[in-house]
Amino acid sequence: MDLNFTEQQQEFQKEVRDFLDENLDTKVSEKVRNGISISKSESEDWHKKLNNKGWLAGPWPEEFGGQDWGVVEKFIFEEECGASGAPRIVPFGVGMLAPVLMKFGSDEQRKHWLPRMLKGEDWWCQGYSEPGSGSDLASLKTTAVKENDYYIVNGQKTWTTFAQHANMIFCLVRTSNEGKPQEGISFLLMDMNSPGIEVRPIITLDGSHEVNEIFFSDVKVPLENLVGEENKGWTYAKYLLTHERTGNANVAISKRKIKKLRKLASETKKNGTALVNDPLFASRLAQIEINLQNLEITNLRTLSSVESGEAPGAESSIIKILGSEIEQDIDNLTRKSLGKRAFINEPDAFSVGYNGPEIEPKAAATASGKYFNHRKKSIYAGSNEIQKNIISKMMLNL
Amino acid sequence: MDLKPSPERQILFDTLTKYFENEYKIADRNTAAHSELGYSKEAWERMRDLGILESLIDPELNGFGGTPLDISAVFEALGRGLVVEPFLETGLVSTKILGKGNENQKKLVADLLENIALPTFCHSENDTDYRKSYVKTKLVPDKEGNFLVTGKKVMIKNASGASHLIITCRSSGDYADEKGITIACIPSNRSGIDIKSFSSIDGGRVSDIHLENVAVLKTEIIGNDGKGFEIISEAIDFGILAICSEALGIMEKIKELTLDYLKTRKQFGVPIGKFQALQHRMAQLLVEIEQARSAVVNATINFFDSNERSSVISAAKFSIGKIGMLVAEESIQLHGGMGMTWEYDLGHYAKRLVLIDHEFGDEDFHLQKYIELQ
Repeated sequence: MDLNFTEQQQEFQKEVRDFLDENLDTKVSEKVRNGISISKSESEDWHKKLNNKGWLAGPWPEEFGGQDWGVVEKFIFEEECGASGAPRIVPFGVGMLAPVLMKFGSDEQRKHWLPRMLKGEDWWCQGYSEPGSGSDLASLKTTAVKENDYYIVNGQKTWTTFAQHANMIFCLVRTSNEGKPQEGISFLLMDMNSPGIEVRPIITLDGSHEVNEIFFSDVKVPLENLVGEENKGWTYAKYLLTHERTGNANVAISKRKIKKLRKLASETKKNGTALVNDPLFASRLAQIEINLQNLEITNLRTLSSVESGEAPGAESSIIKILGSEIEQDIDNLTRKSLGKRAFINEPDAFSVGYNGPEIEPKAAATASGKYFNHRKKSIYAGSNEIQKNIISKMMLNL
Repeated sequence: MDLKPSPERQILFDTLTKYFENEYKIADRNTAAHSELGYSKEAWERMRDLGILESLIDPELNGFGGTPLDISAVFEALGRGLVVEPFLETGLVSTKILGKGNENQKKLVADLLENIALPTFCHSENDTDYRKSYVKTKLVPDKEGNFLVTGKKVMIKNASGASHLIITCRSSGDYADEKGITIACIPSNRSGIDIKSFSSIDGGRVSDIHLENVAVLKTEIIGNDGKGFEIISEAIDFGILAICSEALGIMEKIKELTLDYLKTRKQFGVPIGKFQALQHRMAQLLVEIEQARSAVVNATINFFDSNERSSVISAAKFSIGKIGMLVAEESIQLHGGMGMTWEYDLGHYAKRLVLIDHEFGDEDFHLQKYIELQ
């Protein structure tokens, strides 16, 4: 067994590191490290830099402008970005819709939409969940009815991340009520500026605005915006979801956060000694570190089997459960380690215009807010309960 | 054996609960909780008119309550209502301390009941050292027999609207000694006091208070010079009992919200409460909350047993810290995305419940204390 990278992969790793050293704006990485949302333009700038290097869509085939990265290259790239505090590539276009278009879209759709993704001309969002359809996604009710050259769309989507930035949305809509619910779903691309679309913010418990509700009333969508065949959308959606769930290990991000927590705890005194030496705290920290080490190997084992040709199956569910829970554990312990300072909630402390009193350690400004915000990690992208259903069905045959 | 609350306390609890349900809307509470003051003056006055303060205060100070049983019943109701007004720091802990003072200081309790004074308790000096005896703020005598105070207090709730600050000071000994702690109560507008305040994630404001040669008259000392520890120790224990009861009220409310959601939210054609995986998790929450209630009952009935108090108080605070976090996290998870929104009440209850662990010592602190006491 060899879990080391090849020489070529190691060179690639170095190249990524050098690139990040040179190109990552420290103001942006400070925000990322402290869990502050970056602005749309900061995101777009980062995408542009990556695209100039050819790395915005590294895993794409070369014919579409990618680098044909294998799973290991993709892993190396994401881990290095995570370790350095680089913003995540906004996944909806390049990471999620693109693979669907490549596999199921028309030539025209590929030629039109893929280059625009690379150039940053569209900001995509994902219209899946509805108020009555979360874990039971196939029960979705938003309808698309064919009328001459258009679909007329009516309904509502929810939990739509960054819809406030988006000019395009890919949506699951109901085009038939016959047969099983999965058999009447289609995959539509829509212009967010179409008449009849209204976006309303959903503020989360920590006070931030990431997700939205979207209302559709008699929205006209050209027929050519249907992806693949009518009523086959569920197949495409499932294909997309497996892409959404890979890359959820976040090992490098968790390692970076543990390192920061260890530093914080060594600079903090509890009853006269460093917190990091307090037996109860040390035990909590060590258990998370061990879990994370194990996850790192679990993740590499999965990658190595995918690399040798096995399709990623329910293993991505294992990784999603572990990755989300470990990150939540770190956020939890970070909050605990701050003691009474954890009461503070001043996310603006990282903005240029902040003129409130100084916060020391600065991490305290957002630590509790992040802890609460990151409860979403075990809920989104298929809740961890749904992941366990998948494991039960696919791996245990129960 | 009868461990049920007395009929009078049950009536008090029911009356308050009904009042908060009808008159204290969470949306209004949130607006006030995240305002410049951190709570609603108007809501505070309405609740004062209702007699909530009197129920926390001994009869000799013109109240009609003040026993551990009263305090526990009232704070459980305050928890259910997610009340952000300063009953804990001002209504309870401050009045317990002022009650040990001279006539002027006792008069402050009367002034609080009349709504012409608003004292608050300023004790913590270190974010992560929760020992009650941790006091470095220096109290030094001046030539006239009065004193000067210099030091820093941290993460004090609701200090910005206070009329008086009750400050623990060190007049002798090392920073964590129980001997040598002196309590002073001074108007908050005295020169040398600088208050820097922050938004608190669970609502209200938290402040760091810098004290630079602040004048304290000898008549402003509560109790005897250097003998303040016993007074604050008991007052803080009352505070712990109260905050544990508050947490219990929050957990009961969260249990109701979550149970209601499991019964009404449908996925795959059935209420999600029909899924056994979720039933077991909800059942586990019920089991844990019953344990939390027992911890609070144990602390309440043994409060005046001098051999037991420290141990049952630490046991209760540990239990509440551990169970509270579980209840907060599980209830959000069982709600899915709904539990994450500002608009829905649950998240606000969850935030307060988790942050209660950061007040008066967290679960690790009290576990260690419990071990030391055995």
